[in-house]
Amino acid sequence: MTTDHAAPPVPRQRGGRRSVDSGGPPVPRGSQGLGGLAGKVVVLGLVAGIAVWGAFPLIGARAWPGLAVLVVVTALIFYVYLSGRHIPAKYLLPGTLFLIAFQILPVLLTVSTAFSNFGDGHRGSKQDAIVAIRNASITQVEGGTEYGLTVATRGGELVFLLVDPTGAAFLGDADGLEPLPAGDVTVSAGRVTRAQGYTVLNLGQVGARSAEVTAFSVPTANGAIQSTGASRASERQANRIYDESCDCIVERSTGNRWTADNAAGSFVDSQGGHLAQGWRVGVGFDNFTRALTEPTIAGPFFRTLVWNFAFSLGTVFTTFALGLLCALALHSPRIRFRRTYRILLVLPYAMPSFAMLLVWRDMFNADFGLINRLFNLNVDWMGQPWTARFAVILVQLWLGYPYMFLVATGALQAIPNEMNEAALVDGATPGQRFRRVTLPLLMVALTPLLIASFAYNFNNFNAIALTTEGGPFPADNTTIGATDLLITYTYRLAFGAQGAQYGFAAAISFYIFLIVAVVSAISFRRTRRQEEVYG
Amino acid sequence: MTWVRRVGWRHAVALLAVAFSLFPVVFVLSAAVNPLGTLNSTALVPTDVSGENFDDLFRTRPFESWYVNSILIAGLSSFAAVTLSMCAAYAFSRMRFRGRRVGLLSLLLIQMFPQFLAIVAIFLMFTTIGEYWPGIGFNTPWGLILLYLGGALGVNTWLMKGFLDTVPRELDESATMDGASHAQAFYRIILPLVAPILAVTGLLVFIGTINEFLMANVFLTDLDSKTLSVGLFGLIEGERNNNFGMFCAGSLLTAIPTVMIFQFLQRYIVSGLTSGAVKG
Amino acid sequence: MRIRTAGVVAAMALALAAAGCGDDKPADSGTGQQQTGGSLVIWADEKRTVALKPFAEKFGTDNGVTVEVKAVTKDLQTNFVTASQSGSGPDIVVGAHDWIGNLVQNGAIEPVQLSAAQKSAFQEIATKAVTFNGQLYGVPYAVENIALIRNTDLAPTAPATIEELVASAKQLKAAGKVSELMCLQVGQNGDAYHIYPLYTSGGGYLFGTKSNGDYDPKDLGVGKPESVAAFTKIRALGEKGEGALKRSIEGGNSISTFTGKKCAYLISGPWAITDIKKASITYDITPVPGFAGGRAAQPFVGVQAFYVASKGKNKAVAQEFVANYLTKTDLAAALYQAEPRPPALAAALDQVKATDPDAQKFLDAGKGGAILPAIPEMAAIWDPFGKAEAAIVGGADPNATITAAAKTISGQINK
Repeated sequence: MTTDHAAPPVPRQRGGRRSVDSGGPPVPRGSQGLGGLAGKVVVLGLVAGIAVWGAFPLIGARAWPGLAVLVVVTALIFYVYLSGRHIPAKYLLPGTLFLIAFQILPVLLTVSTAFSNFGDGHRGSKQDAIVAIRNASITQVEGGTEYGLTVATRGGELVFLLVDPTGAAFLGDADGLEPLPAGDVTVSAGRVTRAQGYTVLNLGQVGARSAEVTAFSVPTANGAIQSTGASRASERQANRIYDESCDCIVERSTGNRWTADNAAGSFVDSQGGHLAQGWRVGVGFDNFTRALTEPTIAGPFFRTLVWNFAFSLGTVFTTFALGLLCALALHSPRIRFRRTYRILLVLPYAMPSFAMLLVWRDMFNADFGLINRLFNLNVDWMGQPWTARFAVILVQLWLGYPYMFLVATGALQAIPNEMNEAALVDGATPGQRFRRVTLPLLMVALTPLLIASFAYNFNNFNAIALTTEGGPFPADNTTIGATDLLITYTYRLAFGAQGAQYGFAAAISFYIFLIVAVVSAISFRRTRRQEEVYG
Repeated sequence: MTWVRRVGWRHAVALLAVAFSLFPVVFVLSAAVNPLGTLNSTALVPTDVSGENFDDLFRTRPFESWYVNSILIAGLSSFAAVTLSMCAAYAFSRMRFRGRRVGLLSLLLIQMFPQFLAIVAIFLMFTTIGEYWPGIGFNTPWGLILLYLGGALGVNTWLMKGFLDTVPRELDESATMDGASHAQAFYRIILPLVAPILAVTGLLVFIGTINEFLMANVFLTDLDSKTLSVGLFGLIEGERNNNFGMFCAGSLLTAIPTVMIFQFLQRYIVSGLTSGAVKG
Repeated sequence: MRIRTAGVVAAMALALAAAGCGDDKPADSGTGQQQTGGSLVIWADEKRTVALKPFAEKFGTDNGVTVEVKAVTKDLQTNFVTASQSGSGPDIVVGAHDWIGNLVQNGAIEPVQLSAAQKSAFQEIATKAVTFNGQLYGVPYAVENIALIRNTDLAPTAPATIEELVASAKQLKAAGKVSELMCLQVGQNGDAYHIYPLYTSGGGYLFGTKSNGDYDPKDLGVGKPESVAAFTKIRALGEKGEGALKRSIEGGNSISTFTGKKCAYLISGPWAITDIKKASITYDITPVPGFAGGRAAQPFVGVQAFYVASKGKNKAVAQEFVANYLTKTDLAAALYQAEPRPPALAAALDQVKATDPDAQKFLDAGKGGAILPAIPEMAAIWDPFGKAEAAIVGGADPNATITAAAKTISGQINK
């Protein structure tokens, strides 16, 4: 007794029926109706309003490319919705715009980093690195004076009012230092508090002109006087400066030089050492070849790949099996408390998944965990490879089978009873009925979901990272563990040792992506054939 | 005997499954009501019952704000995602156009790219966005929702398309024959028929968004504007913290909206879920 | 119909635009800065945000600046670098001193110029920790290291060596008073930070030091015979030996095992004290004991500091806050009250010592400790070293394990 809300099952026809119009079902013109028209006007009006609102900051900042993109997109939206054709586009456009902006674009940007050495120590441009090297080398001049600083303005222009340790006041500006007559200034607590002809700025006002204040320097014989915050200043000098003529960094105090290695993106000296601050350069296909050829990476790759497949297949299979079993069990109308059972069975799905992953990890703790305590075992779950693998799949089973249960329940209810009854009349046993009638029909409906679940679990980072962190690790190899997935392995390679190596990680992810994509594409092809058999 | 064969085994399976499902949840519950609030001092069955952890949770953290934030963000995201996905699924199912098959497959494949790598790109994008339009930049729930909407088209579209495929074309055509536009046919005829799949997808996206951590961690940094997943994680982050009891209390409270929504949608979800998809 | 639709739409758009125009223009002319003179954004992890907020906000109201303290729950360092590079980073970030190497190589922070007088106000070890390549990069505010915390009810006397500790713990266990010998967190993947005192006592070292005292990444101590010897001793304490070190004791349960009175000896830092006090345990803090006949056990000394972001939008106020405001005594003392880690400011420490002897005891336990290396090469150590430790605690052969770990580490460093 199924309560069907949908239309009664009718054979779906494939292949033969093609709409006349290339865009879809025939659309008589001018049949929109008032409600539809009003809706369209409102929505398009909103779009236009948003576009205009969004355009103002772009115009203000003279961001012409951004403005161009905005205009093009708005024009596209208007064109699609106002024209009578392009029906599919009307439905696809909103979702696709978001997809492109927030999924495709980041992915493309990330893949482009695979062709560079982007990572820790190579994040910015060469100019960024030069500035950073210079600023990191600014030191106080030997025997230089420390001043109490007051930032002031004279006619809108920034000046420094300085007080040296003896209490004498000076004016510092772009021309240098000049003593100020003592009568014109009030000095208190080592700083100028009032000065005739100058407006003293408080901290808030300094903050408003922060960039100017930090860049301001008063030239002196040995260097320049620069500020620290808004109340102190001292004479400083940069020790390492960039010399354009030799494309190198020169260290003033020692005379050391570091020449720019534009292929590697860092400044190197003659002994092979390099400065910490580097910059991002393109490296072509280096990252891709490195992933394939470096022995420490290529070696374990295959083993991890095998386990990755086993893990995702195992998860899909076990969750599906248990979910289907429960769905079958609760399928009969004769079972009471069905709704209660359903809610209780779905509870794992409702609990926050990362919380439950951490709880399960603690439950598997060898000495204090619930599993060992409850069942009086002494298994070193996370310490042995196979027990760890078992534990991880068990956790995934717990987390994932409610979802399979839900969809299997729905699918079962959709199978018309006539099929089963016909089989029964023909003398089939329950087992045969299930295998020959129910299961094939189920698979047609559920195979896309199974494939999607496989793809999701293939890259299920949290499932491993929060439970075993990839371990246990064999004593002789600390980079690849027994439960490591390709994605956790990539994460560790990229972010674990020696700083982040995004470019390299992006290259490896690209390979992972290729593998999953190919497998999924092949599975989908086979599903299509299956669909066509069953109509 | 026949009762056992017909019905009894069903109860047995269901009970075993329920036990399997529930025992970690019972553990979480007992940790939540355990005043000592640490992992070691918790057994499966609660020994000491007190609401201390719940009190502490609300007192030491802006838990209510987290709750409201999460529900707001997850609710809006799931509503918008279902809408976008449904429209796209309708197009994929009902219409034939160039790139349809490729588009369907690529929807699935795009989401297979690991998220944590895209963070750098997303930072760049949202920095630019935040410069021009601070209202949807970092530290705003709207920016986060926009980001989530990027993932609206994906597996869910597949799910919906499959269900839409089962609604016969004749219905569309008879509607348009009667003078309705394609949009009207969509709203008036098709949508009500696929209510179950809308409910399921909405629930799935809701759950997924509440659990999302990576982006929410970066986007919402004010203590008050965090979501539940980030806030709860912060409770036990850094091994130096032993707020296990509070963490469990928070997790239990997080599950409540999901269970409520599921209960509310149960009649949609289970009946006629893939109705018509499987037929002879 | 279409033309009509378009016309209506255009009219609506103009209306909306006009409405939007009116209130948008002033906001769009700037880049979001407040009229009161800029805003200061500070990033910290959750615990520190809660402690820091009132002080930061007071600074803001006193000076007419809007100060925002934001909590980034996870991966604060990585997110800071990424955000900084893309231009949406904070002005100040709070973190451990061993971040400095990585932050400098990414150009994310700038040196802070303190006057000689200001520098001398801090404990020497604190200023040393935040000095990198001869420059002072952050302003320290707390010094921390691990020590031996023991339950004085169960263990009235402080053990002088680790062997004494184990013997005493075994007696307690035999008497049924405790269930674990020692709470030193190891975990499935090891914990280099906590095992370091025993490692140094056994004779091992991580990096050699150059003549000027800086760490020398070319001199890797892991893999040398001393390191293997040290780990052989550690293995004897492990699961296949005395059973004092166990992989099942990890960060999440070591402190709670101690507060649950299941072990009498805890090796942890000042962060554990709050929980211990809450559990009303009478405790005492002494230095981590080393091996009998071995060298002194050196714990890692870590310093928490404030850094000025080099790409922050308000560097002037950031430097004022960090260099001139944080160096005041009462502020440091108040921060201590909010989160009990020994202050780096010497005067603040004196102030705090009077009411809370724990701070001084921790610092005493850290005397002679090794400053946590801040060089970027240190990042290559944590993971392999920890995993090697876990394997050895589980009973693996020290020679093979350490050799493999050394190979991994040097491979990473020399890349």
